[in-house]
Amino acid sequence: MEVELAEALGRVAPGQFAMLSPGDGSGPLIPRPFSVYDQPAADRLTFLVQVIGPGTQALAAIPVGGSVLCTVPLGNGFVVAPAEREVVFVAGGVGSAPFLLYGRERLRRGGKTTLFFGARSAERLYDREAFEKERLPTVYATDDGSLGFRGNVVACVADALRAGRVGRDALFAACGPEGLLHAFARFAREEGLDGELSLETYMGCGYGVCNACPVATEAEGPLGGWPYAKSCLDGPVFALRSIAF
Amino acid sequence: MLHTRVGTLELLSPLLTGSGTFGHDGAATRFVAAGDLGALVLKTVTPRPRPGNPPPRLVETPSGLLNSIGLENRGLAAFLRDTVPKLETLALPVIANAGGESVADFERMAEAFDAVACFAAIELNLSCPNVKGGLSFSASAAAVEEVVGACRRRTRKPLWAKLSPNVTRIQPLAQAAEAAGADALTVCNTLLGLVIDWRSRKPVLGAGFGGLSGPAVRPVAVRLVAEAQQAVKIPIVGSGGAQCADDVLQFLVAGASAVQVGTVNFRRPDAVSRIAGDMRALLAAEQTTVAALVGSLQMSRKPPPLPTTATAG
Ligand SMILES: Cc1cc2nc3c(=O)[nH]c(=O)nc-3n(C[C@H](O)[C@H](O)[C@H](O)COP(=O)(O)OP(=O)(O)OC[C@H]3O[C@@H](n4cnc5c(N)ncnc54)[C@H](O)[C@@H]3O)c2cc1C
Ligand SMILES: Cc1cc2nc3c(=O)[nH]c(=O)nc-3n(C[C@H](O)[C@H](O)[C@H](O)COP(=O)(O)O)c2cc1C
Repeated sequence: MEVELAEALGRVAPGQFAMLSPGDGSGPLIPRPFSVYDQPAADRLTFLVQVIGPGTQALAAIPVGGSVLCTVPLGNGFVVAPAEREVVFVAGGVGSAPFLLYGRERLRRGGKTTLFFGARSAERLYDREAFEKERLPTVYATDDGSLGFRGNVVACVADALRAGRVGRDALFAACGPEGLLHAFARFAREEGLDGELSLETYMGCGYGVCNACPVATEAEGPLGGWPYAKSCLDGPVFALRSIAF
Repeated sequence: MLHTRVGTLELLSPLLTGSGTFGHDGAATRFVAAGDLGALVLKTVTPRPRPGNPPPRLVETPSGLLNSIGLENRGLAAFLRDTVPKLETLALPVIANAGGESVADFERMAEAFDAVACFAAIELNLSCPNVKGGLSFSASAAAVEEVVGACRRRTRKPLWAKLSPNVTRIQPLAQAAEAAGADALTVCNTLLGLVIDWRSRKPVLGAGFGGLSGPAVRPVAVRLVAEAQQAVKIPIVGSGGAQCADDVLQFLVAGASAVQVGTVNFRRPDAVSRIAGDMRALLAAEQTTVAALVGSLQMSRKPPPLPTTATAG
């Protein structure tokens, strides 16, 4: 989905998000959060929207040229690592969204970067041509084996780590459905990997006023001064060590 | 044209933010234009820190939102130290909102807020449950009178009592708050509700029950404003489901001198400015003002006469 904004924006950081809803008031009472996928121009943003419930159905029903309510840019975004540091992206389904901007930024700065992109089957690796066009080194994983590694993306990353294709001291960045993020967080902690997660927490406002998107913090971590962080302001990207996820 | 008064408080606009729906620290006021937001009402602060309820804290219902945030806040000491300095730099009136579990808690909050120069008024969140007995302070006239009276003795700032709609009749509560010295009433907080995931047999919200807000509750809130307005002389601030200029104007006619908007801020952060712009256009077209509309409701309409052939019964 492509949105033309009323005003030009500065460069959106990878991992930042927008709250979207149909401009005509159709659709649910509150908008839904989506990672910014690409920014083809200062006043244009694209999003990858997977239709699952009323909010995304309403967005999908907007005709071309229709109006969209878009509050953007929101959230912190990923820390873009310096060229010396290897970076590994771990994406499940539309969780690939923040990695197009992030990948492009890494390619610009230099440094080894690999996208591990997983989904149930090859046709659910949405818009993978976009990553191929950027020439971002990509490893696919599909549950049914229809493309690349057979199995989930976490198993695929584990395999690459064992084989030495990615380094243990790389910075890992993961985004995708909650189940995948839990599996990845567990794996990363067991293996002692350093990384960041972009969470898909249920949100009310998206800009820090409603306190409805709490993320439990790690008492010993940098956010440990309070039991909950706000996913919309302190996140949606969190260092693994800062949250109890 | 939008100018209004709530007791001694002069406001450039009747639009206020509802407590808990526009943050603690004023950061969100950057989304609204000067003159559109009459005053910023802050999220409830309690004497001691409260972590808030386990998630999920919000679920959508038809035309509404059910929330159980659990009054998450870092407590009075952190609020005074970290947040008040930010509020002091804002160029609009700020209204603090106090919560507590006992009359002594509320007294402590009123005393502390009284000492903050930039607070234009203090609103008491009487929907808080009283640890003594477990019911909300807003559940009985005696409790309202006790807590409002205790706070009245601690502050000379305008004191607003925010009432709960979860009562059979609002009038005795409104009168109790007035008798105890409240300068205004906020009518009303959220309606208690429950959403169940029947498959798991569990409530959807982490805390179980929640408070319903949004357009679904608006007619109830407007009715309560009209009832409260007949029962007291002090001004009323409406709250509940206002989403657009038309809704706000209904509250004014029902008797509200100002209207808090809450849930609509989640839809868009500049909602207040949008509503203010639309109100100016509607008032201009109607050649009237906010002040002229407040309490202008003409309630009684006689039923039509029965046709002569009908038999009564
Ligand atoms: C920061 C962030 C970035 C996201 N980026 C993308 C993206 O790029 N592409 C994409 O397709 N999806 C993305 N999502 C997920 C997307 O927001 C949900 O799929 C969407 O809200 C579902 O709404 P619905 O009404 O269609 O479904 P519903 O029937 O409402 O919900 C289906 C599921 O989505 C979750 N959900 C519902 N409302 C919200 C909400 N307000 N916030 C978060 N989760 C919710 C529910 O917990 C439920 O599990 C992102 C979420 C977050 C928080
Ligand atoms: C997420 C959320 C948090 C709220 N927090 C508070 C609060 O801390 N204190 C309070 O007095 N009211 C609180 N309220 C109630 C609102 O201030 C308002 O009275 C109510 O939501 C009805 O108005 P609305 O329909 O315009 O939202 C909260 C409401 C919501 C939706």
